[in-house]
Amino acid sequence: MASAFLLDMSRCIGCEACVVACKAGNELPSDRQYIELIEQTSGTFPNLTGGFQNHRCYHCADATCVAVCPTGALFKDNGLTRLDRDACSGCGYCVQSCPYGVPKMSDGRSSKCDACASNVGGGGSPWCVTTCPGKALEYGDRNEILAEANRRVAALKDRYPKAQVYGETQAGGLGLILVLPDDPETLNIPADPPPTPEVANLWKNWVQPISMGSTAVTVAGLGVLGVMARKNHLAEIQEIENKQEAAVSTGSAEGGHDDA
Amino acid sequence: MARVDLEITRRQFFGAGFAGAAAIGAGRVPLAMHYPDPPWFANGDVTTTYNYCDMCPWKCGIAVQSVDGKVIKVDGNANDPKSRGMLCGRGQAGVSFMYDPDRLQSPMIRTGERGEGKFREVSWEEALDYTAEKILAIKEKYGPESLAIFGHTTGDFWFTDYFAQAWGTPNAAKPSSSLCLSPRDEASSLTLGFPVGGHEPMDWDEIEAVAFIGSHVGEDSRNTVMQDFVEARNRGAQIIVVDPRFSTAAAKADHWLPIKPGTDTALLLAWVNVLIEENLYDAAYIDEWANGFDDLASHVKDFTPEWAASITELPADQIRATARVMGERHPQAAIMPGRHTTWYGNDAQRMRAVFLVNSLLGAYGRHGGMYFNKSPFLDAYPHPPFAVTGSSGGCSAEPGEEVSDELPLGPSGKARADGARETFLRGATAMQELIDPMITDDPYRIAGLIVYGVNLLNSVPMPSRTIEALKKLDFILAVDVLPQEHVAWADVVFPEATFLERYDELSTVPYKTPFIQMREPAVAPLYDTMPGWMMARELGLRVGLDSFFKWETIEEYLDTRLRSVGSSLEKMHDAGGVIIQEGKPYLEDFGDESPFQTASGKIELSVIELAEAGLDPIPVYEPTEEPPDGYYRLLYGRVPVHTFAKTQNTPALSGVYPENELWINEDEASALGYGNGDRVWLENEAGDRTGPIKVKATQRIRKDAVFMAHGFGQQSEGLTNANGKGASDTKMMSRYKLDPISGGAGMRINFVRLVEGG
Repeated sequence: MASAFLLDMSRCIGCEACVVACKAGNELPSDRQYIELIEQTSGTFPNLTGGFQNHRCYHCADATCVAVCPTGALFKDNGLTRLDRDACSGCGYCVQSCPYGVPKMSDGRSSKCDACASNVGGGGSPWCVTTCPGKALEYGDRNEILAEANRRVAALKDRYPKAQVYGETQAGGLGLILVLPDDPETLNIPADPPPTPEVANLWKNWVQPISMGSTAVTVAGLGVLGVMARKNHLAEIQEIENKQEAAVSTGSAEGGHDDA
Repeated sequence: MARVDLEITRRQFFGAGFAGAAAIGAGRVPLAMHYPDPPWFANGDVTTTYNYCDMCPWKCGIAVQSVDGKVIKVDGNANDPKSRGMLCGRGQAGVSFMYDPDRLQSPMIRTGERGEGKFREVSWEEALDYTAEKILAIKEKYGPESLAIFGHTTGDFWFTDYFAQAWGTPNAAKPSSSLCLSPRDEASSLTLGFPVGGHEPMDWDEIEAVAFIGSHVGEDSRNTVMQDFVEARNRGAQIIVVDPRFSTAAAKADHWLPIKPGTDTALLLAWVNVLIEENLYDAAYIDEWANGFDDLASHVKDFTPEWAASITELPADQIRATARVMGERHPQAAIMPGRHTTWYGNDAQRMRAVFLVNSLLGAYGRHGGMYFNKSPFLDAYPHPPFAVTGSSGGCSAEPGEEVSDELPLGPSGKARADGARETFLRGATAMQELIDPMITDDPYRIAGLIVYGVNLLNSVPMPSRTIEALKKLDFILAVDVLPQEHVAWADVVFPEATFLERYDELSTVPYKTPFIQMREPAVAPLYDTMPGWMMARELGLRVGLDSFFKWETIEEYLDTRLRSVGSSLEKMHDAGGVIIQEGKPYLEDFGDESPFQTASGKIELSVIELAEAGLDPIPVYEPTEEPPDGYYRLLYGRVPVHTFAKTQNTPALSGVYPENELWINEDEASALGYGNGDRVWLENEAGDRTGPIKVKATQRIRKDAVFMAHGFGQQSEGLTNANGKGASDTKMMSRYKLDPISGGAGMRINFVRLVEGG
């Protein structure tokens, strides 16, 4: 049975409690965060609308990051996209390929929300959910979350005629179901993210399984190849991180503070 | 944006890069389904202690989780009526605040010149003995009144209230009074007979319309208010936001009024006009509970929405429509009193106008309006009569405290030196008015200063004047957790243990259901730090105040107080860290008594006391000075993850928001040739400069003002994360306008322009 988050943007008040709860509960270093609040504005003064993009992993069912990950550090589990940072080679393909631009490089490895796998595995709830003062976040069975999202959208129609559920079908169905007051583009969210390129699926579905057939050989070579792969990618990582920094330093085009 | 850049690289990646990746990855086994290590709470014995958060003055009840002597996580205490199990981002960073490697770690005595920041580490014994000797010398030479004590944050009670009153100085002050709440609370006292109190008593559960004037729900991260606001709005309550800036709350509003800064009183008078002219006020309520209605009605006769429109630059129709939104829903409608109300120097009158609207709506004591808050019952620890009655006010002041006509005198016969009753009418001691006496010795010399937790040079306006005062004092003691800018000016530094490392005074919260919160340590004090209560006591024992500090341990002090409500530290901990009592929130809870504590027992729509003092008994609109050509009015406020000038160095929060940004209207910015992310400096009319600060060119603000988060632009090398980051609003405040009623310092009268280089 798949799990999912509910993120109700009609209730999100941009306070960033989720951002810091996530950092604190997951004991992240001060320069790493899995959630960003990015201010969005449309119109000209004084005829404005606006809100926040609560930017975090969308937990796609057809997850491009999982498809392109060469080490299996990214994998699907219970509808959610987990990340085992220990297994990450730091190639950065997930960073480049995510249709939502979510994973970031941090300390030479991929970094993104893993739906508090550790916390939930230990019997808790994701840290962002438990602390949210606006009760904009819920976590639970995906079918129930979807039903709740539809109930909320129905109740919002008076105030927001364009209110809608997002995530039921996108990228094969998301593990982050959004209640949106308006069209997703108003919060800089693509209405339909580009699908995973066929070549990536080919890799995931054919090349990887075949390679697993020669386990005896690959296990022996794993350590050496791992080191080599890491070395090969160091330059690439540096390049990606430089690009991220450059993007961040000019990244307040929307007025948000999207430092990673 | 990051995502645009990466779109381009993705094509390159799938074109060429992917083949390489496949080649490398082909020989590797996916490490499928590997779960991370067990969570911290499965790694040892988790200990829960109860506390109230010190990351902002809201004081949410928290549960602190520690594992094997290390504090790991802070959560909202589910039993606490304020946090209800939830917590804002700043509270979540309490652990990061505590483990900040930049903390002051040892008591110190100055070795270099003041301001150089050169100290030698000393023992507590030496630091305390030296401090006692110095302040006793001041007492001997000038009298105890010549020691000023400034305090802020939740331990300020021990110095600013308890020690100050025992010692005998009326010159104890908190920035939360005259730099924040004073106009609001004096206006409320004059109108209703009691101050608003720490927690704005909006009856959120049933409210149908609520207006905010310059009050930033979401951006100010008041946990309870955010919870209640979202719930009320979700229920369908109408939200009106008056703000020159399209704030987070404005983006959530049903009605946004982008008012011209400084003209709020005109809008409020027009709202009063509409409520009365269109008969949308609660006539029966006013008849029973208010004095002065006829005077008010004739006063506002000409203050029509059309009159206000030309002043406020708001459409008359919008002014009328929003008055109706509230009027048609009375008494389930009110204007949020807000907190930081020291804006233009006429602030108590503006806040009076707010309370007039709320009175006409019949909001006080009504379901869905404003409830009456009540302090919880709790006996004080027995102590001898104080040497002087305190008047520092602030967040820890309780509603119902009376301001007597006579100012309290210290042991050598001197009243406070802040000019109260002469330059302003009433209210708590005005911190900024104690700076001049330090320089001029008028009305008498203030020779010593204890600063507890106030970021002196980043919160009191006219910081260069403050430095002049610091140069002239005989003695300065700084009590702090971090090496804030002013600490370099101290003679002695006491490093304090943070709220997670100490017992502390009980927090008594005036609320719908009054309640008591406890603070118990999660771990022992780190480094060679000491809790504030212990410093105050150790100092007290050295200056002859033994009889005020008879308790041997803090546990005994707290247990004695808790016995008066049938509890103890242990019982309170076992009960989940909070004691909740019954309140009297509504009119019907008062029987034949009046809930209004004015002399008449009624709401005073027109205030005789003001008329007698030569001030307007009913608010009038007074124009505020306009910015000169090329300058913008400097507005300042909050971002959700920072508090005052206190948290900018906290690693977890600095990581999220490391430096402030200058909001400027996009059209203005492009006319000046600036774009998003450009770095500029700011210069005020006095020629002071601060920066560099990143430009945020946005449609979200009027063209006549700029806005930035308060508390940045700090200059202290000891603050690794905060030093030199962003611009300082305080350093742009080369002047302020004193509110003649409350002593509040109106700070939004400073103008800045954008310049290149500092």
